[in-house]
Amino acid sequence: MNGIHDLGGMQGFGPIEREENEPVFHADWERRIFALLNLTIAAGQYHVDEIRHAIERMAPADYLMTPYYVHWLHAAEDLLDKKGVVTHAELEQRMAELAKKGGK
Amino acid sequence: MDEHSHTEPPSEPALRIRALESLLVEKGLVDPGAVDEIIELFEKRIGPRNGAKVVAHAWADPAYKKRLLEDGSKAIAELGFGGLQGEDMVVLENTPEVHNVVVCTLCSCYPWPTMGLPPNWYKAAPYRARVVIEPRKVLTEFGVDVSPDVEVRVWDSNAEIRYMVLPMRPAGTDGWSEEKLAGLVTRDAMIGTDIPKVKA
Amino acid sequence: MPALPKDMVAIAIKTGASTRAQVTTPPRFKAGDKVVARNINPPTHTRLPRYIRGKRGVVQHNHGGFAFADTRAHGLGDQPHHVYSVRFEARELWGDGAAPRDAVYIDLWEPYIEPAA
Repeated sequence: MNGIHDLGGMQGFGPIEREENEPVFHADWERRIFALLNLTIAAGQYHVDEIRHAIERMAPADYLMTPYYVHWLHAAEDLLDKKGVVTHAELEQRMAELAKKGGK
Repeated sequence: MDEHSHTEPPSEPALRIRALESLLVEKGLVDPGAVDEIIELFEKRIGPRNGAKVVAHAWADPAYKKRLLEDGSKAIAELGFGGLQGEDMVVLENTPEVHNVVVCTLCSCYPWPTMGLPPNWYKAAPYRARVVIEPRKVLTEFGVDVSPDVEVRVWDSNAEIRYMVLPMRPAGTDGWSEEKLAGLVTRDAMIGTDIPKVKA
Repeated sequence: MPALPKDMVAIAIKTGASTRAQVTTPPRFKAGDKVVARNINPPTHTRLPRYIRGKRGVVQHNHGGFAFADTRAHGLGDQPHHVYSVRFEARELWGDGAAPRDAVYIDLWEPYIEPAA
């Protein structure tokens, strides 16, 4: 699709921002979603082409403005819901339960 | 939903991911031990030091270098590296005539077995948009000035072949051990956005 | 499929998941062939970027057969095709303002290209 991900040759993007001594993961949630997406692929739920296309379908502004691993989270949620494996409703409910328990 | 800044994610991804993980574990789709194992593998064990060993070995052993350029995956496997997101590798030799640089304009494809996970700048829009159209300007921003006589080749990893640059061996390294040579090879040099140098 | 157990993680990562596949038809192209990237604009998944579409390049190499991302992404099967490394001159892609010697190399599944006149 002619989505926002198809960036080659676009102009107006400023300097390439680099972080010195960048860690592999910037936060624990990044570690977890990295693991979950790879392990659900290994469990045969979907494969990398479906994941890429799910990311391509993100709203363009969200794609550009969110940290990289939020793209992975979007793909996991979208595909798992489409396949009926983990529905949006189930996820929302579990989030509410966890939030109530006071954890973040 | 609140606007997100580039560097500080809101708490919501963290909560969503905790919820997701707990559901996936409950449904028997994810083993919690496997989660920790795969994180450990990519955070601690797989990284650009692998690729640096490949480069150093190619610098030290001309026959290995020849094999590496002919069949990247096979030669890299000789050193014990290979696997996910590096099943099909091609190694690109920098020469006095040609400077290679690698990108994935469409997403973030990168050779994990030799280089670990890519840095944020490689995955973000500015590099992906700019390096195919103005590679020399991008390289200059990285401190790499390419002479007009040199050909710049930008490799877009849009399919399943994964690319790694074999930088030129710097002068003043005669007789160095492979370990010492590997110490010169930065991650960026294997992407093509750096050139190995002997510190003065 | 069940969850990948902890003690299988390292092996699974080391094995990987190559999408190399046998193609039953002979390759249409070979190294040196002049090709043009098709101007396709599917609303579905493709790995042919817009900056390459309609541009002329030269085949460098046949990587072999691989499952086709465009169909795989939509559950339409692997449908393997030959994948070629194709060189596009910077000036072909970006106009005369581009450096004369520079080029972009990209990997194109056979359905992405046609012979150039």
